[in-house]
Amino acid sequence: MLQIGFVAAAIVVVAINVALILAVRRNRAHRGDAPREGGSDRRGQFRVGATLTAFAAAIFVLSVIFTDQARKTPASGDAGLAAAKTAPLTIKATGQQWLWRYDYPNGAFSYYKLVVPADTAVKLELLSTDVVHTWNVPDLSGKRDAVPGKTNKVVFLADEEGEYTGQSATLSGQAYGAMRTAVEVVSPQAYEAFAKQQKADIDSAQDRVVGLIENGEVP
Amino acid sequence: MSEKPRPELVIDGFPGKRRPRWVELATSADHKDLGRILICGSLGFLFIALIELLLMRLQLAIPENTFLSPVGFNRMLSLYGTDAIFLFAIPLALGLFYYVAPLQIGARGTALPRVGQIGVMLWAAGATVLYAGFLFTPSEAGINPLAPLSELAFLSNNGVDAWATTTGLCTLGFVFIAIDLLTTLRNLRAPGMAWRRVPVFSWAATVCCWLLLVIGPVLLAALTMLMIDRNYDGIFFADGSGGAPLLWQHLSWIFFSGAYMLILIFAFGAIAEIVAAFSGRPLVNRGVVMGSLAAIAVLGTLAWMQNMLTAPIGIGWMYFAMLMSLALIVPFGLVVYNLIATMSRGVLRMRAPLLFALGAVSSISIGLAAEIDHSMVAAAWELKNTTDSTAATHFALVGGAVFGGFAALYFWFPKMTGRTMGEDLARISFWTMALGILLAFVPLFLAGGEKGEVIDAYKFFGGTGVSGYNLTASIGTLILAAGIVMTLVNAISSRVNGPEAGHDPWAGESLEWFTLSPPEPHNFDVLPDVRSAQPMRDIREAIAHRTASTPAPARESQPVA
Repeated sequence: MLQIGFVAAAIVVVAINVALILAVRRNRAHRGDAPREGGSDRRGQFRVGATLTAFAAAIFVLSVIFTDQARKTPASGDAGLAAAKTAPLTIKATGQQWLWRYDYPNGAFSYYKLVVPADTAVKLELLSTDVVHTWNVPDLSGKRDAVPGKTNKVVFLADEEGEYTGQSATLSGQAYGAMRTAVEVVSPQAYEAFAKQQKADIDSAQDRVVGLIENGEVP
Repeated sequence: MSEKPRPELVIDGFPGKRRPRWVELATSADHKDLGRILICGSLGFLFIALIELLLMRLQLAIPENTFLSPVGFNRMLSLYGTDAIFLFAIPLALGLFYYVAPLQIGARGTALPRVGQIGVMLWAAGATVLYAGFLFTPSEAGINPLAPLSELAFLSNNGVDAWATTTGLCTLGFVFIAIDLLTTLRNLRAPGMAWRRVPVFSWAATVCCWLLLVIGPVLLAALTMLMIDRNYDGIFFADGSGGAPLLWQHLSWIFFSGAYMLILIFAFGAIAEIVAAFSGRPLVNRGVVMGSLAAIAVLGTLAWMQNMLTAPIGIGWMYFAMLMSLALIVPFGLVVYNLIATMSRGVLRMRAPLLFALGAVSSISIGLAAEIDHSMVAAAWELKNTTDSTAATHFALVGGAVFGGFAALYFWFPKMTGRTMGEDLARISFWTMALGILLAFVPLFLAGGEKGEVIDAYKFFGGTGVSGYNLTASIGTLILAAGIVMTLVNAISSRVNGPEAGHDPWAGESLEWFTLSPPEPHNFDVLPDVRSAQPMRDIREAIAHRTASTPAPARESQPVA
């Protein structure tokens, strides 16, 4: 898609600038030159207009085709998470000034870093608790806005394990420039272990806090 | 026969108390004075915008720089955007329209001068508020402060209020000026000047004024809602309780998309005049060019959602925005085609106005070609809100407002002052600016499109492969600024020192070249009957014909009166 766009843009830039340069070089004034006559040519205009329309229509049709492909939920591969074979793994991504929070299906959550299984379709539900944020990890998918009061979504499938980074892309206040996120793609087994461990850690930490409050050690 | 001394009925007494020049200028409702205020003011604000841009680029010259604080950067960004759009680009276009268009159509003044004067004063008041805001706290919410960041809950100082006041006063002023100009253009055209014979620049003025009448009130409505939200517990843009953050995006982008088109329509109107004058022939297919300019205004404004392709809106709306943006290829293409066709059938005199006009076409072509990518939905998901979009916008709008505006300035400066601007300095300035804009913004295309560097951030991180790009961009911006300052200096020094120009230095086509330079307050003593779209060409031919056929008739008055 980007390549098509780049080619289209390059055609436009080169065509216009070459035509400009040629027009200037051929028609600089020499002594005794008189401008050629000949005014409007309606038929030429229709030809030019039709060519431009065809160019625009071709880009439009190509974009619709590619956009529809990009919007399709990819099918999880065989090596992917067993639980996400039919429906994509749905994770809630909440933007807040200036951090991303990820809520996993089993109730675990993490800040800053998202952990997902490889070869598995992942659907991120983008929410915001304060201002508009843009979830942006260019190596995994296109960017989408998290707007308060609305739910947006991003679907992606990471083939390879590894760590991907991204930076929020809508001005959201003071620390906007430092609002980054990371996505760690691991094997499905490692993902399941992570989610379980994270859930257990959070539960035990919460139990401990509840215990402290009940004992009166924390007001 | 000796004359008797006539009894003096009028005594020499009662000398009118002559007011200082600046008071005359500030209280004048003459369109030329108001145009001059707008042009000089906007060029001053261009200089300030340059300083702000340079400070931001200095911050972004090296990774994780701490030259500006995050808040300081956001304030600079908000000031720069507001200054560049509301205090420089639109008023420069309106100022040139205001000065030139009534002269082009042969009007002795504008139809509603006091309305236009109020408009200019409102604009001046808006500019004062913006930089008075600098004394306490400027806005931190960015060029287009998206709700709910602009709400009181997130920015509780009065910066956003000052921003809304500035943009509101300026926009109201633009609407007033548009009302005056539009009334003039509709009612005060010279005898015989049907719409099909209106000069292209005046036609561009008409289209831009209609456009302002449509988009201005939309932004004013949005700003009113924002002020109610911030100061009277409103909920227009607050999420929950029935408000909608996306509403702000729709309303503001309608205005900003329209303003983007306004600047390009202004630029192409001026470029068309200049290309025709310096090719020595009438514009090819005038009617098609004029129709295209009108189509650009309509399609470009309808494409406002092109800016919202990453927002949660339906895919159908995204395709609609893409369709409208891509449809713009046709009118823009036809305009550029006919400009080049005019040049290739003419004999080109490469003077400063033409040089800048061609630079503008070239720069705009790069910006608009990149906008094609930003309109293709799936590509936009990758490219939006990266420095790639910064670069695209700047190529189009610096091309339109700075290169195009300077072309118009070089072209009509002799009419305004009676003197021509320096040609050598103009050439140096042009090539410096051309080098500068390429060095400043091509690296940002690469940093955004290739590495995904995000827009508006107060810093970038080392090791992400964008350090070299950013450093080049900072150096390029400095060169661009140097080139721009050269033209500003050129304008200031040529006002007194430039070579005398005479009333028609370029052999122009339209009626502004019929009057004196600078024009008298009433513009014209006499007006010719307009019989074609090139009245001055007709006049020159009539004179040539007459001098060839009859021995020079002794005639004091202006020909073809």
